[in-house]
Amino acid sequence: MSGVAAQTGLDIREVEQFLYREARLADEHDYDGWEALWTDDALYWVPAGGDDTDPERQMSVIYDNRNRIATRIKQLKTGKRYAQSPPSNLRRLISNVEIVTVEGTDTVVGANFLVVESRERGTTMWAGRTTYRLRRAGDDIRLAYKKVVLVDSAQALFTLAFLI
Amino acid sequence: MTVQYSELIQPERVHGSLYTDQDIFAEELQRIWYRTWVCVGHVSEVARPGDYVRKKVASQDVIMTRSKDGEVSLLLNRCAHRGNLVCEDQRGNSSTFRCPYHGWTYRNTGEMLGYPYNQGYGGKGKLSLGLGRVPRVDTYQGFVFASFAADGPSLKEHLGAAAGELDRLARLSPEGEIELTAGWLQHRAKANWKLLVENETDGYHPQFVHGSVFSVTGSHIGTLYSDKSTAVTRDLGGGHSENDLRPEFRKMEPMNWFGTSEARVPDYVAKMRALHGEQAEEILIEGAPHVMVFPNLFVAEISVFMINPVAVDETVQNVTAVQLKGAPEMNRRLLSQCIGSVGPAGMLLADDSEMYERNQRGVTARVPEWLDIRRGAHRERVDENGFRIGAANDETGMRGFWSHYRSLMEGEAQ
Amino acid sequence: MNQWIIASEFAEVAVSLDLDANGPRLRLEDLRSGHVRHLDALELESIAWAPDERLRELIDPSAGRWSDRADDADGA
Repeated sequence: MSGVAAQTGLDIREVEQFLYREARLADEHDYDGWEALWTDDALYWVPAGGDDTDPERQMSVIYDNRNRIATRIKQLKTGKRYAQSPPSNLRRLISNVEIVTVEGTDTVVGANFLVVESRERGTTMWAGRTTYRLRRAGDDIRLAYKKVVLVDSAQALFTLAFLI
Repeated sequence: MTVQYSELIQPERVHGSLYTDQDIFAEELQRIWYRTWVCVGHVSEVARPGDYVRKKVASQDVIMTRSKDGEVSLLLNRCAHRGNLVCEDQRGNSSTFRCPYHGWTYRNTGEMLGYPYNQGYGGKGKLSLGLGRVPRVDTYQGFVFASFAADGPSLKEHLGAAAGELDRLARLSPEGEIELTAGWLQHRAKANWKLLVENETDGYHPQFVHGSVFSVTGSHIGTLYSDKSTAVTRDLGGGHSENDLRPEFRKMEPMNWFGTSEARVPDYVAKMRALHGEQAEEILIEGAPHVMVFPNLFVAEISVFMINPVAVDETVQNVTAVQLKGAPEMNRRLLSQCIGSVGPAGMLLADDSEMYERNQRGVTARVPEWLDIRRGAHRERVDENGFRIGAANDETGMRGFWSHYRSLMEGEAQ
Repeated sequence: MNQWIIASEFAEVAVSLDLDANGPRLRLEDLRSGHVRHLDALELESIAWAPDERLRELIDPSAGRWSDRADDADGA
């Protein structure tokens, strides 16, 4: 696949800029800004125990439709979501960005990430690969799907209450 | 140094060192985790002959297997030759295990099957070695329990009144069986295991710790534990305890225990009514139990937790969704609601886990040394079945836990 | 050629139907060594009927593949 998803007009630079922005909004707990990136048919999925589980039959760390994303954000915004109050100090690196394929109106993108989370418990590293489905909406890009496969997905995980 | 548990565990307070002392943790492994009945899984995880899954009992790496004749075994994952792990995958199907180190091969009942180049041992069948077996394995309502002690109370004796709560869970299935087939989330917390156990039937914390999610979802769970609630906390004996929410559920419509209505799950309700007739009403109203089975099995209505201690200040809480055999319509909802609630990102459990960890850091402070467990002691009463009960948010369950814990820690060493 | 892989952490075997001979055979290939065996209908029927102990004897590592006495897999 070339760097340009010709049919949808998303080029790799534009894709990268979107991923970096999404990462920054999550790192900085800009909950409204982050939520606004999603489409109405959004799906936010963090599988457990590998990357090929059936989320309709198997447990996942996160398996949020658009409604549940909204609930998650509302809970964070109460200020009493203790697992994120105080919020973790976060910075993440996004790399190895590839446009994987184009499916209809969606551009499927893969990228690696490394998040460093600091909170009173200590510093925790979260790494993995994310698959995104991006969709053009006017001048903007929207996020329709985000699947986050942690390298530790089969291990016992500390609380993961920030936006991964 | 001999720890005086009678001094550390008093009727209305327990000492902070119980959560931080390495020696006490080591003693707990011997006296509780490698002795009493500990829940390790469910028979539905090894449904077919040859199925196996890896499990943990404290630090012990255990393989749960089902043999050709249907027997469930718990084997220690350690080759009799050099102590290598014989099994590396988390789950699979094989009637035999072959150690990758030197090829020693065992049946999935633990019995030695053979070893390569057997002339080095004088021929076939010369070694009477096998995989270690957990001495006692028993099941109740499909839950598989392990006891590393060759003798002691039977599982039935251990469960006592808690068995009835597992019955109450199973009867929610149209086929009378639950299944734990959705896989496990493993949630790790830097906290002593007892902080988790005590929290499970603590009805005092939900309004505080879970206020955030209750407020944004309009959940009624908070009121179940309010000061006006008619629910009770019950010490079931044997260290087991429950939040009996039925007095509140009985004021509601069927299926409200699950936050839904009959109209939303018509197939399930019809099946249950056809099966149970008039008694279905009671089952559909009373719903699932909220019970902590000593020392590590917690059923929170729709979720099943198995707690495993890693270190004095580290615990893994494994959790999966209850699945009701013969109720696909319910199972999708159970899974979805469970995923939203529990595990590392769960809207409930992530906050519980945050509290366990803060609690662990807090108890290292030198003063005032004690944790208070007296809430509701003055208004505790005995119910018609002889169990101690307190109000919905009283610490009756904790006191029951500590009383049993103390008896195990003080009893004769094995 | 339809082929299935039957794999566990202990072994990986490719199973396929071989139609090259005068009659059909099941072809088994140990993917870790490349070793191949064909089983005809009667052999398969015999395996289906073999008592479990007979199968276990085959799984004994010294029974064949890792035997140090070619003439006597049963040892002394």
